Amino acid sequence: MRVNPNTAPDVLAAIAQAQQAEAVALQQIATGRRVNLPSDDPGAAAALVQNHNRSDVVDQYTQNGNTVLQMLQTADSVLSSVVSEVSQAISVGVQGANGTLSDSNRETLADQVSGTLDSVVSQANMAYRGIHLFAGTATTTVPFTPDTSSPSGYQYNGNGNVNSAAIGDGFAVPVNVPGDQLFQHTGADVLGSLQQLVTALRGGDASVIGSATNQLRQAFDYLTQQRAFYGNVASQINSQESFLQSETTNIKSEENSLVGVDMATAATNLSQAQTATQATLAAAARVLPQSLLDYLK
Amino acid sequence: MPGLTTSLLTAMHALMAQQGAMDATTNNIANANTPGYSRQVPVLVESDPSNEGSLLYGNGVQLERYQSIRDELLDLRIQEETSQQSSAEAQTNAMQQIQPLFVTNGQDIGSQISAFFASISQLSADPANLSLRTGMITAGQNLASSFHTAVSQLTEIQSGLNRSVVQDVGKINQIAQQIADLNSQLIPLQTGGQDGGSVKDQQTELVRQLSELTGVSVIETESGITVTTGSGTALVVGSRAFPLQTAMGSSGKQQVLSQGQDITATLNTGALGGALAVRDQVVPGILNQLDTLASDFSNSFNAVHQSGTDLNGVAGGDFFTPASSVAGAAAHFNVALTDPAAIAASSDGSAGSNGNLTQLLTLQSSPLASGETPTDSYSSIVFQVGTLAANAQAESDASSMSLQQLSDQRSALSGVSVNEESVNLIRYQQAFEAAARVITTIDQLNQVALNMGASGGGF
Repeated sequence: MRVNPNTAPDVLAAIAQAQQAEAVALQQIATGRRVNLPSDDPGAAAALVQNHNRSDVVDQYTQNGNTVLQMLQTADSVLSSVVSEVSQAISVGVQGANGTLSDSNRETLADQVSGTLDSVVSQANMAYRGIHLFAGTATTTVPFTPDTSSPSGYQYNGNGNVNSAAIGDGFAVPVNVPGDQLFQHTGADVLGSLQQLVTALRGGDASVIGSATNQLRQAFDYLTQQRAFYGNVASQINSQESFLQSETTNIKSEENSLVGVDMATAATNLSQAQTATQATLAAAARVLPQSLLDYLK
Repeated sequence: MPGLTTSLLTAMHALMAQQGAMDATTNNIANANTPGYSRQVPVLVESDPSNEGSLLYGNGVQLERYQSIRDELLDLRIQEETSQQSSAEAQTNAMQQIQPLFVTNGQDIGSQISAFFASISQLSADPANLSLRTGMITAGQNLASSFHTAVSQLTEIQSGLNRSVVQDVGKINQIAQQIADLNSQLIPLQTGGQDGGSVKDQQTELVRQLSELTGVSVIETESGITVTTGSGTALVVGSRAFPLQTAMGSSGKQQVLSQGQDITATLNTGALGGALAVRDQVVPGILNQLDTLASDFSNSFNAVHQSGTDLNGVAGGDFFTPASSVAGAAAHFNVALTDPAAIAASSDGSAGSNGNLTQLLTLQSSPLASGETPTDSYSSIVFQVGTLAANAQAESDASSMSLQQLSDQRSALSGVSVNEESVNLIRYQQAFEAAARVITTIDQLNQVALNMGASGGGF
């Protein structure tokens, strides 16, 4: 069998192959990625699309949770101050029901409760970054405006709807309680009870003041119950947040295992490729120049 | 009985034969690096002997012909493999241009789909906020431009392939003409019983070059070789070449014609076949999937968007321009809304409701008409592009390797070995010197014979 006399193409191909391996190893180290083009690993490239999407979705959930949490905290602190003011108004009512007070004293108390009513209304109209917190989903309208035809003296302009925010797959939390449910609930009407107490105090009948105070107490209890909603949702968001954090970590580590390169392996590959290239070049340098002509002098 | 003159003639023929053999060696060494060259071997034969009575004596040597050492079967295999390799390489090159469009880099369609939904999610926290609404429209426009970029680059790649089809056909015609010209040079040689030699080598090399462009079949005939495309369209018959033509088809693609007949679909191998496969199958396939995604996405999104109400309590319209047909949907994918207030975020008519945004957000994880979520359909496209590119690369690598082996085999048989030629040179040189010495000797003998008369004084 005659031996192929022209080894140059084979030698060139071998050198090209060794250099290719070197370039691949170098690129992997430089980018830290095993998959730079879809063809490097089509399955991993396709999974990376889903991985990034999942990462974005989890970011959205986290962001939603944070935004909602701030709104909830604002609403909760507003309600906290309302609760303490109403509680004070109840003591005022109890004081007013005491038959020994003079009319002018009751008038003073009536003014005091009336002030509380104004303050509660102004807090019920509180807006967080332009969003009215107690207007249902009608967040751009001022929820409570004075209305003489209404028994409480205020009309509710919002609606009874609730917005929700997704903070997980199939996990949405309500983000608000409609204002009428908090402040004008039938049988537990905070604004109405305050207004009634004012009227009763001005009327001066101790038993009417007493029953008005009782009504206000009922409204107070109801408001306190409703307030628990904010705490509950906030704690749901907080526990979801730690879950989302661990999911973010998982997603990152999944991304790394999909397309990332193990640096130790890549470095080994590079040094192997370098050795192979050097060996190929050295072999080529020895083989190529050999000829009988060197010995025929 | 042969005399000195006969011996002189024999020695002279020997000189000529060795000289001729040295010519072959010289030619071999000169062509040591010529592509397609087959080494030539001088065929030395004994001259017919003479006989005188019962005595049969040799008449020396003669150079009958030069024989090119080649294996036509091997050449055929090389042609076939060359076509495969060129096709795979053409596809690999085109796929290398297509692939970067589908790398997850923040600008691709997949990332823009995510970013679009993120903008909706942001808006859902404050649905009446006009700057967040504008943000959602901008994210929709970014998604649209990522579709447009992909479509325009794919179309650009298609027109690049169109140009290479025209160039390839031009080269095919040029080579076919050269083969036909060589056919007419070969006919007299072959009828004279001669080896085609370097003419044949040139022709084989041209057929190999032709195989790079498109797969061909070669049939040896009395009037040279007949070359047809793989499916039998004649390119060269005898000394006549049949040029192919290109014509712009109705779809804006260059079609390949032979004598007015459209043969585009039959060209599957070679660089031309590879370019046609990417242009007519791969790129339209990807475009079709992008169109389906764009059309399904805009339809689903619009349907949900219309079920809500905008900032002014008006029922929602189309968010994206509705696709009139699936074909071209990706290119015409656009945000129809310009007024941020017209985004139908609300489900109850009030400005602050995010009910419809929540519905829109569920589209991210709901199957489209195709049965896959938007992200899943996009990731299928990425998988497909990656697989096509990886397959083309693997095929190209594999056939490069077997082509290399075949070339090694051919070189082992037909390649020029400088060492071998050096040895031959010494052999022929020694034989030449020996024959020259014979002539000198006969010359001396002749002198002796002549001097016998002059100095002997016998006359």
